[in-house]
Amino acid sequence: MSLLRVADLHAAVDDKPILKGLGITIAAGEVHAVMGPNGSGKSTFANVLAGRPGYEVTGGQVALDAADITACGVEERAHRGLFLAFQHPVEIPGVSNMEFLKAAVDAHAKNAGQEPPAPAQFLRRVRDAAAQLDLGADFLKRGVNEGFSGGEKKRNEILQMLLLEPRLAVLDETDSGLDIDALQVVADGINAFRSDANAVLLVTHYQRLLNYVTPDRVHVLIDGRIVRSGDRTLALELEERGYGWLDG
Amino acid sequence: MAGSTADAALAQRLLEKRSDYAYAPWLDRRPSREILESHGLPGRRAEAWRHTNVGRWYETALADAEAAISGNGAGVRIHAPDGVEVVDFANARAAELAAGVLGQAFELAAQPLAAVNALLLGAGVVIRAPRGLQAKTPVRIQRLGAAYQQVLIVVEPQAALTVVEEPATCSHRIVEGAVGAGATLTHLRRQGAAASRECSLVAVRVAAGGRYALAQTSLGAELRRNDIIATLAGVGAEASISSAWQLDARQHLDNQIAVRHVAGGGLSRQTYRGVVAGRARAVLNGKIHIAPGAQATDAALTCKNLLASTTAEVYAKPELTIHADDVKCSHGATVGALDEEAVFFLRARGIAEDAARALLTRGFLREAIADEAGARQLGLIP
Repeated sequence: MSLLRVADLHAAVDDKPILKGLGITIAAGEVHAVMGPNGSGKSTFANVLAGRPGYEVTGGQVALDAADITACGVEERAHRGLFLAFQHPVEIPGVSNMEFLKAAVDAHAKNAGQEPPAPAQFLRRVRDAAAQLDLGADFLKRGVNEGFSGGEKKRNEILQMLLLEPRLAVLDETDSGLDIDALQVVADGINAFRSDANAVLLVTHYQRLLNYVTPDRVHVLIDGRIVRSGDRTLALELEERGYGWLDG
Repeated sequence: MAGSTADAALAQRLLEKRSDYAYAPWLDRRPSREILESHGLPGRRAEAWRHTNVGRWYETALADAEAAISGNGAGVRIHAPDGVEVVDFANARAAELAAGVLGQAFELAAQPLAAVNALLLGAGVVIRAPRGLQAKTPVRIQRLGAAYQQVLIVVEPQAALTVVEEPATCSHRIVEGAVGAGATLTHLRRQGAAASRECSLVAVRVAAGGRYALAQTSLGAELRRNDIIATLAGVGAEASISSAWQLDARQHLDNQIAVRHVAGGGLSRQTYRGVVAGRARAVLNGKIHIAPGAQATDAALTCKNLLASTTAEVYAKPELTIHADDVKCSHGATVGALDEEAVFFLRARGIAEDAARALLTRGFLREAIADEAGARQLGLIP
């Protein structure tokens, strides 16, 4: 059974059609990459999956674990196991990272009818995950993403992913703005996360992240549709030849 | 105040109603009477009352003037740590302590409501931290038990004191402070939601090397107006003023806050954050005044407001007057709504929309919360 099944998805932003019949199916345990030139609809696709307000689905269907989530609210999608790592993580001054992480994990527990984790146990878990991502001790006390470097923000996204243990992680340009060391750390985090119990969708312009996180499938998105799918070698071919030869 | 901006008849009515001063007879009311006689009271068109209908406060004041003034100190409830002297104005000792201090931190002509306070005064206390005292626990003002109140805080040189004003309603309260050389006064004001019309004046004078820190946390009232003046009178004095407010329904809060740098080398920080919902109205007029000769002054003011409804109103105005050339001075005021991008971010992490908005609102306010316990007590943070 597929973990994510997107069929003939059409979506518009400000009445402008962006996605024009996108289809993709991901099974549990798989990592897929969606690549494409600027303006092809990559970020729109990631945001539509997360249910972002202002992104209107005009046709088609998104199913997560065989349940149609096309009309679900943002929180409900998150509770069902969908996670979007933001291309531009938001800064929230005045709310500490720890307070935010606890609120997120507690909200998931509450939705699942479970007790929230005990504070001491939770703190240990967060510290372990933060250490794994090379995030310093003061990082949890700071405001969410406040004054973080680009790399820290992206690692913070991965930290949230590790703590929330989603079924499907959609990573929107997580590799952009990372230097080679940060890229390695982020890739290690993704590799530590991937398992038979989940799936990962990497949305990216460049193939360099794929040197560290090996995808099972690579899809090329142009003008709102998947125009070609293949294995890892497709990404290498794109790197060499660009997107021009695939137009239309 | 001239013409339509002043109300002389009203001042006369108040003066006629009160001429017996059984409470704190040592207090010289003549300057107050003279000010009211010569200047009248500010009218509705007076610039300082542009956004607050002072006429509604006058209705309250006239009604108060009819009532008996208790003034025996019976309603006063104050907790003070060892070593801090608390004296009711009914006591002759208060006159000794007030001599040369009371009324020195503000200009009566610019604060006509303070003159009304003096006429109708029913409760007053002097709080004194003697030289060098480092008070371990705060003075808590829980109740003063009259409609018109005065608190005089004297922090002698090198002493340190914290004073907490717990939520209590009254028609007018003056808190006047004299912070001695090298002394510190930490002032926590907590203003609860109230159906009352109340005005207050905080006026603090800080001597060389002294420090005044005010953390004001406010909910709204039917009418609430705070005039706050901190004067850095000695070299190297400091003032830190933070105020966070949250208003709803038809609540009204007007803060008129001024930091006056009179001596050089002073440092002041003013941080304001407000959330205004419903049909509430918030006013913040924040002033930095740097007198001639107050060189090497470092002053900053920021005011940010969050409009939580389309019918809420915010009037935020920073005002700078600078008469010295070697100063560092900055200010900024913004009015906006919650960042929808941040709301989406939190929702995408499974946090329900209401909870996400509440979390962001708290985060926004927290930058101006210097009294966590007070903010919790008033429900601004959990």
